[in-house]
Amino acid sequence: MSRDDSPPTGVRVVDVRLHLLSRQVLDVDGEPVTTVDDLELVAADAPEDGRRDAVPGEPAEVGAILTGPVLLTRLLGGRPPASRWEPVPWSDVGHVGTAIELTVQADSLDVHWTEDWLREHVVGRIPGGRHDPEEES
Amino acid sequence: MILGDLLDARVLGPGGENLGFLVDVRLALDTLPDGGPSDRDGRHHPGGAAGEADPDDAHPDDRALSQGVRRRDRVGRARVVGVLVSPRTGTSFLGYERTDVTAPWPVPQLVRRRHRGTFLVPWDDVAAVAPGEVRLAAGYRREDAALP
Amino acid sequence: MKRLLGVALGILTAIGGFVDIGDLVTNAVVGSRFGLSLVWVVVVGVVGICLFASMSGRVAAVSGRATFEIIRERLGPRAAGANLAASFAINLLTLTAEVGGIALALHLASSVEPRLWIPVAAFAVWLVLWRVKFQVMENVAGLLGLLLVGFGVALFLLGPDWGELLRQAVPPSPPATEHVATYWYYAVALFGAAMTPYEVFFFSSGAVEEGWTAKDLAQNRVNVLVGFPLGGLLSVAIAACAAVVLLPAGIEVSSLSQIVLPVAEAGGTLLLALVIVGIVAATFGAALETALSSGYTLAQYLGWSWGKFRRPARAARFHVTMVVALLLAVAILMTSVDPVAVTEMSVVFSAVALPLTYVPILLVANDPEYMGEHVNGRATNALGMVYLVIVVAAAVAAIPLMIATGAGS
Repeated sequence: MSRDDSPPTGVRVVDVRLHLLSRQVLDVDGEPVTTVDDLELVAADAPEDGRRDAVPGEPAEVGAILTGPVLLTRLLGGRPPASRWEPVPWSDVGHVGTAIELTVQADSLDVHWTEDWLREHVVGRIPGGRHDPEEES
Repeated sequence: MILGDLLDARVLGPGGENLGFLVDVRLALDTLPDGGPSDRDGRHHPGGAAGEADPDDAHPDDRALSQGVRRRDRVGRARVVGVLVSPRTGTSFLGYERTDVTAPWPVPQLVRRRHRGTFLVPWDDVAAVAPGEVRLAAGYRREDAALP
Repeated sequence: MKRLLGVALGILTAIGGFVDIGDLVTNAVVGSRFGLSLVWVVVVGVVGICLFASMSGRVAAVSGRATFEIIRERLGPRAAGANLAASFAINLLTLTAEVGGIALALHLASSVEPRLWIPVAAFAVWLVLWRVKFQVMENVAGLLGLLLVGFGVALFLLGPDWGELLRQAVPPSPPATEHVATYWYYAVALFGAAMTPYEVFFFSSGAVEEGWTAKDLAQNRVNVLVGFPLGGLLSVAIAACAAVVLLPAGIEVSSLSQIVLPVAEAGGTLLLALVIVGIVAATFGAALETALSSGYTLAQYLGWSWGKFRRPARAARFHVTMVVALLLAVAILMTSVDPVAVTEMSVVFSAVALPLTYVPILLVANDPEYMGEHVNGRATNALGMVYLVIVVAAAVAAIPLMIATGAGS
């Protein structure tokens, strides 16, 4: 867990749909990672070892940002099995503004496989695919 | 539980009476002092294109405008405060009923009319969540939906 | 001095970048059938694109979010998904028209069959997207596109009856031979051509890619506010050339060679050659912008990494999207569909899609959470609401008019 334990200086009230859902997620270098497709709610103050699902009426908090197949089921209805969620732990979130900024690098997250696959097998193999366009060629 | 299960669900009172739709979920984000350990690399450059120079050294005119809005306070945990219920419609649109944005006239005014009567129910008072349906506990509270 | 050069360059590329195959074809068709009686639509369209391009640039620069990220965030996944499907399809249609336009222009210059040019044109577009620096790409296409000034030169060489042209324009007096519905159908098409949404996707994404500063924002405002109206003047020159030569001769434009006929008549081979280079550059530039826009819209909706400034491997899905879009465009053109007809379709459907893009921009430009102190002023909002009404009216009217007039025939 990368959460640091400095005491909170205050509280900011946000509404999920208004301020979090569908926002762009950027990694620590400002690279786009994904959008917030859904959020996982967990029981607050759960013991370190195991996270419990949120229970209505009992203290709950956001456990993770979910992306991937969750988008499709939000569009079409239903929900994917938990094994198909592509979570970004909320503890990796640094800032919430017009984008959600993470405190880790995109490559350390497990939400990228299509990008990685295309990078390794298609785009990276075409001549010039790793050329920096801002440099003089 | 995922949030998608709650959004747009029908909200029922303790006796099963229809109260409207769950249009949003309110969270309280802990704000943390800036510059803590998790912030050390947070000073990225807009679009990742710029060089190594610290943008704070530059003249204000030479700094990307987005720096101003983008960097808000660092946040910690996000606790669930409650759920927002609109008696009329499930379609939430821009949340005009919860903010005091008035421009461009007349869009916010019209949306606000449509969402009149939206209220906040504290999370403590949510009794049960089933697919497409949220039931409130007996003696649930109705609070002001406005964002502070 | 360097600063002044920068400003001049920006304005010149904005002029050259304004006209694309949609403007070219629609203006020539309109000029050949209605004279200058639809010039007022170009004026309305230019003011609109100035307003919304500078607004979307400001939103992107201040919030750091490009237009389609905002559309997704404000409308939610479902409505924004429908918007994406429509915008992507129309953008693809426009891309198809632009690639077809490059091929037609090269055909005029070389008399090699357009179908042979289509794959070449698409490959060249891809190569530039893959390899060339954003700024270089924008400037070269914009500056060469300026050669379209040849239409203005041709107009003067033709020595028209200026009083007669003015009489057609104010008050707008359409020829008695045309039906009212047809007149309004072409009004909507012309409006769609001037306000094509891809300009806004391109413009706002550029603002994010380049990380605009207050200085950049001011300069781009000048580029837009000076460059686009001058580009609009080019559009009017194209229509006027058609009004002077094609209208009296009873020629209805259905091919690119007819569009440049007045130029050849007035200025001979040399002017024709220059204008053809201008058309290649303008359609090539627009093909780049629309190809990029197809990547921008999809990547921004789904939160992928995107942008010309990244190494292609760092924005793999973005680059793959652009390649797929180009391949689709080539496939459509290879069915030997008429690129001019595709262009006419694309501008009408652009008109239908206008509210999808412009409404969210106007709303977010008023949201202090995104914009801080840079929210819209009262005057901008008043004008914005007027345009909202126009844009919605055009969108609603487009399809019924298309059906009623049999697509203007």
